[in-house]
Amino acid sequence: MTETKRTSVGSKIILGLTLLFFYAPILYIILFSFNASRSLTTFTGFSLQWYEKMFANATMMESILYTVLIAVLATVLSTVIGTLTAIGLSKSRKIVQQLVERLNDLPVMNPEIVTAIGLLMFFSALAIRKGFLTMLLAHVMFCTPYVMLSVTPKLRSLDPNLTDAAMDLGATPMQAIMKVIVPQIRPGILSGALIAFTMSFDDFIISYFVTGNGVQNISILVYTMSKRVNPSINALSTLIIIMITFVLGIVNLVPILRSHTAKSERDPKKRRVMLAAIAAVLVVAIGVGAALGVGSAKARRQDAIEKYGSATLKLYITGEYLGENVISDFEKQYGVDVIIEYFDSNEMMYTKLQAGDSYDVVIPSDYMIELLMEQDQLQPLDHELLPNLPLLAEEVQNLPFDPDNTYAVPYFWGSVGIVYNEQNVDPEDVESQGWEVLRNTKYKGHTYVYDSERDSFMMAFKALGYSMNTSDPDEVREAYEWLLEMNNTMDPTYVTDEVIDGMISGEKDIAVVYSGDAAVILDENEDMRFWMPEEGTNIWYDCMVIMKNAENPLLAHEFINYMLTYEAAYDNAETVGYSSPNAEVLELMATDPDLYGENEAYLPRSGYELDESFENNQALKKMLADYWIKVKAAQG
Amino acid sequence: MKSFRRITYPYVAWILVMILAPMLLIMLYAFTTAGNEVTTFKFTLANFAKFLTDRDYIEVLIRSLVVAVETTAICLLLGYPIAYCLAKLPEKNNLLMILLITMPTWINMLVRTYAWMGILQDNGVINNILGWFGLGRVKMLYTDFAVILGMVYNFIPFMILQIHTSLAKMDKSLLEAANDLGANRTQAFLRVTLPLSLPGVISGITLVFLPAVSSFFIPKLLGGGQFVLVGNVIESRFLTAGDWNFGSAISLIMAVIIMLSMWLTRKVDATPASAGKE
Repeated sequence: MTETKRTSVGSKIILGLTLLFFYAPILYIILFSFNASRSLTTFTGFSLQWYEKMFANATMMESILYTVLIAVLATVLSTVIGTLTAIGLSKSRKIVQQLVERLNDLPVMNPEIVTAIGLLMFFSALAIRKGFLTMLLAHVMFCTPYVMLSVTPKLRSLDPNLTDAAMDLGATPMQAIMKVIVPQIRPGILSGALIAFTMSFDDFIISYFVTGNGVQNISILVYTMSKRVNPSINALSTLIIIMITFVLGIVNLVPILRSHTAKSERDPKKRRVMLAAIAAVLVVAIGVGAALGVGSAKARRQDAIEKYGSATLKLYITGEYLGENVISDFEKQYGVDVIIEYFDSNEMMYTKLQAGDSYDVVIPSDYMIELLMEQDQLQPLDHELLPNLPLLAEEVQNLPFDPDNTYAVPYFWGSVGIVYNEQNVDPEDVESQGWEVLRNTKYKGHTYVYDSERDSFMMAFKALGYSMNTSDPDEVREAYEWLLEMNNTMDPTYVTDEVIDGMISGEKDIAVVYSGDAAVILDENEDMRFWMPEEGTNIWYDCMVIMKNAENPLLAHEFINYMLTYEAAYDNAETVGYSSPNAEVLELMATDPDLYGENEAYLPRSGYELDESFENNQALKKMLADYWIKVKAAQG
Repeated sequence: MKSFRRITYPYVAWILVMILAPMLLIMLYAFTTAGNEVTTFKFTLANFAKFLTDRDYIEVLIRSLVVAVETTAICLLLGYPIAYCLAKLPEKNNLLMILLITMPTWINMLVRTYAWMGILQDNGVINNILGWFGLGRVKMLYTDFAVILGMVYNFIPFMILQIHTSLAKMDKSLLEAANDLGANRTQAFLRVTLPLSLPGVISGITLVFLPAVSSFFIPKLLGGGQFVLVGNVIESRFLTAGDWNFGSAISLIMAVIIMLSMWLTRKVDATPASAGKE
C-alpha cells in the first residue's frame, strides 16, 4: 500500500508537468485572444474586438458547425468500420492482413498534400459535386487507419480462444464480437476514436482540396485567415476550448450526479450519457447553423434570380483581402448571397480550378491570369456591363498581359520592397546598396527573406541587373549563387506571412516585404521604414476575372462593377492596406495623412523602367523552385 | 471463422476505391512528364533519377528521417512514463486525464504553432522571464530545438494514448504472480509489464514516426524555412512550383523507404511479443 502511495505522488508531478507542457500554448492563445492590437506576440492591452469580429463573421460560425458535424460523423463511422474490420482481419489469412495493413499505412504516411491531390483527382474523375459529402468520405478514409492502428495491438494481446469459446457456447459471431471481444479491447477503441476525432477536427490540406461550394471547416478558415495575422483565430480557438470544456464538464458531472440517485450501473450508463451530451451539442450546433442560415433576406432574392438567373455568386479570393463590409453591402444592395472561398497561393487556386471546380469571380495575380488566358479558361468581359471601368486609376490601365481589360479588371496592386528598422540599420546602407543589403554581413542574423522562389529570385535577378523574366540558364545560375551566398553568410530567416508580426514586434531589422504588408507594419511600428531598391522591383497586379465555367456570369459582372465603385474600393483599401485600383480612392489614400498619406509604403512607384511584372513561364518556375529548395537546404 | 472474414470485405473494397485508386493516380504522375496541363502522358523515370542523383535532395531526405527518428525517440522516452502514470490512476480520473491530454490537439495546429512562436521568440515569453531574473536571451525560435519541440508537442499525445491503451486493463494478476515468485518491482516491470505493452509501443511509434517524416508546417514555421524537410519539398512541388510529377515521385520514394522501415519495426515487434505470450 505504501508503495502505491509513493508512486502516486511521483505520478502526480509527472502528470502535472505534462499538463503544463500541453497547456502553456493554450493559455497563450487564450491570453492573446484578448489582445488590443493585431499582434500575435506582443500584448498591448485588453480588448474584446476579436470576439466581436468573430461573432460578426457568419462564415466562421458556420465553419464551427461543419467541423463538429464532420468530426463526429467521421469518428463514429471510422470507429465502427475500423473496429469491425480489425476484428475480422485478426481472423483472416496472414496475407490479407498484411496487405490491408500496408495499404492502411498509406494515408498515415503520405504527406497530406499527396493524399489530397490523389483524392482531388479521384473525385473529379468521378464528377462528384464537392462539398459536405466528399469531405466526409475523405475524413472517414484517413481516420479509419488510425482506429485500426489503435485496435489491432489490443486484439493481438487477446486470447484467440475466447471467441471460439463464446461461439461454442452458442453465441452468434455478432454476439461474440459485441459481448466478448469489444469489452476486452475497449481502451483501444476509445483511443482510436479520440485520434480519429483529432485528425478530423484539425485537418486542413485534405479538407481544402476535397471540399467546395462554400463548405469550409475551421482549419481551412484559420489557414486562409492567418494570411494577414488575424487574432480572431485566437478568439475562435478560445471559443472551441470553452465548448470542449463545457462538454467534458457535462460528461464528467452527470455520472457523479446520477450516482447519487441510482447506484452504480457503471459503464453502459456512462456511454449513454456521453452520447446524450454529444447529441445535445450537435442539436445546439445545428440550431445555431439554422438560425444563421435563415438570416438572409428572402424576398429580394427572387428579384435577383429573375435578373441574373441565380442569386448566388461564388467568389474565390486570397484570405484577408476584402473590406470589412464590402461583401455584406453588396449582398444587401443586390439581394444575393456571396459564397467565398479562400486560397493561399495562386498555385493552390490553379490546382482547384484544374480539378474542374467552378467559381464565378476569381482574383489571381498577373502571371497566373496570363496562364489562364493561354489555356482559354477565362470569359471575355462584357464592357457594357462594366460602366465603372473608367474609374480605374491610370497606373493600372494598359497592363501588359491584358491591355484592354478584355479578361481582367484590377483589384489591388503593389510592389515588393525592403522594410528596415531605422534604429538599428543605417538608412544610407539600404538606399545605396538596395537588394545587396540583404547580403551585408553587418546585419547577419537580423534579416527576414520572403520564402518564395519567385520573390527571392526576383531580388537576386534585380541585384545582378537582369530581367526577372529571364530564361537564360546562366543568369538563373548566377542568381542562384547570389542567393546561396546570402544563405550561407547571413543566416536569414525565411518567412511568409509571419513577417508582418515579426517586423511589428521588431524581431528582425531588415525584411523583404510586399508593399501592402509593409504599410501595415509601418502603421504599427514607428521605427520601420520602407525602401524600393533602385535596381528595380516587382510591380504586381491582382485582377478580377470571370471563369469560363462560371455559373452566374451576369452577377459576376455586377460584382466586378461594384468593386470598382468608390465605396467598395475605399472599404477594401482602408481595411487591407494595398494600393487601390480606383483613381479617386488611390489619390485620397496616398495623400490624406489620416489614411496612408504619411505611409511611404502605400503608393508603389509607377513607370520606373527597371520595374517589371512576372510573366507566365512554367519552365522557369520549376527551375527556380528546384534552385530555391537547394538554397534553403544548403546549410542544414 | 468465415463469418469473421466476411466483415472485412466492405473495408477491403473501400480501401481499393478510396486509398488505392487515388494512389494509382499519384503513381501515374510520378512516372510521367506531361505535367498537370496536358492529357498526353509520356512514361519516364526522370523524376526519380532527378531526386536520387542529387546530393541536396538525398541530404534533405536523410535529415527528415533523422528528425523523425529523434522525435519518435523523445516521444517514446517521455510518453512511456506519462502513460504509465496515467494507467495507475483510478479509472474515473483516468478518462478525464486522457481527454485533457487529447484536448489541446483539437485546437488548430497552426494556431498552436503560432503560440509556440510567441513563447520561444527572441522577445517572447521565455526570454522575458529569463530577463526578469537578469539572465541573457537565448535564441530558441528558428533552431533545431524549436522544430523538435514543436513536433514532440504535436505528436506525443498519440504515443501516450497508444501506450496507455496497452497498459490499461492489463491483467494485474500477472504482476501479483511475478511478485509472489520473488520478482522485485523493476524485474516485474521489465519481464511482465514492458513485454505486454510492446504492441502499444509499436503502434505509438507508427503513429508518431509516419506523420513526423512528412510533416511540413512545423519545420516551416518553427525552423524559419531553413529547416527543409522532405515534406516541405513535396509540398512546394505541388503548391508553388506546380510540378506534380516530381512531387509524386518524391512521395513514392519516401513511401517505399518508410514501408521498409515499418516492415522492419514490425518484424522486431513480432519476435518479443510472441515470446512474451508463451
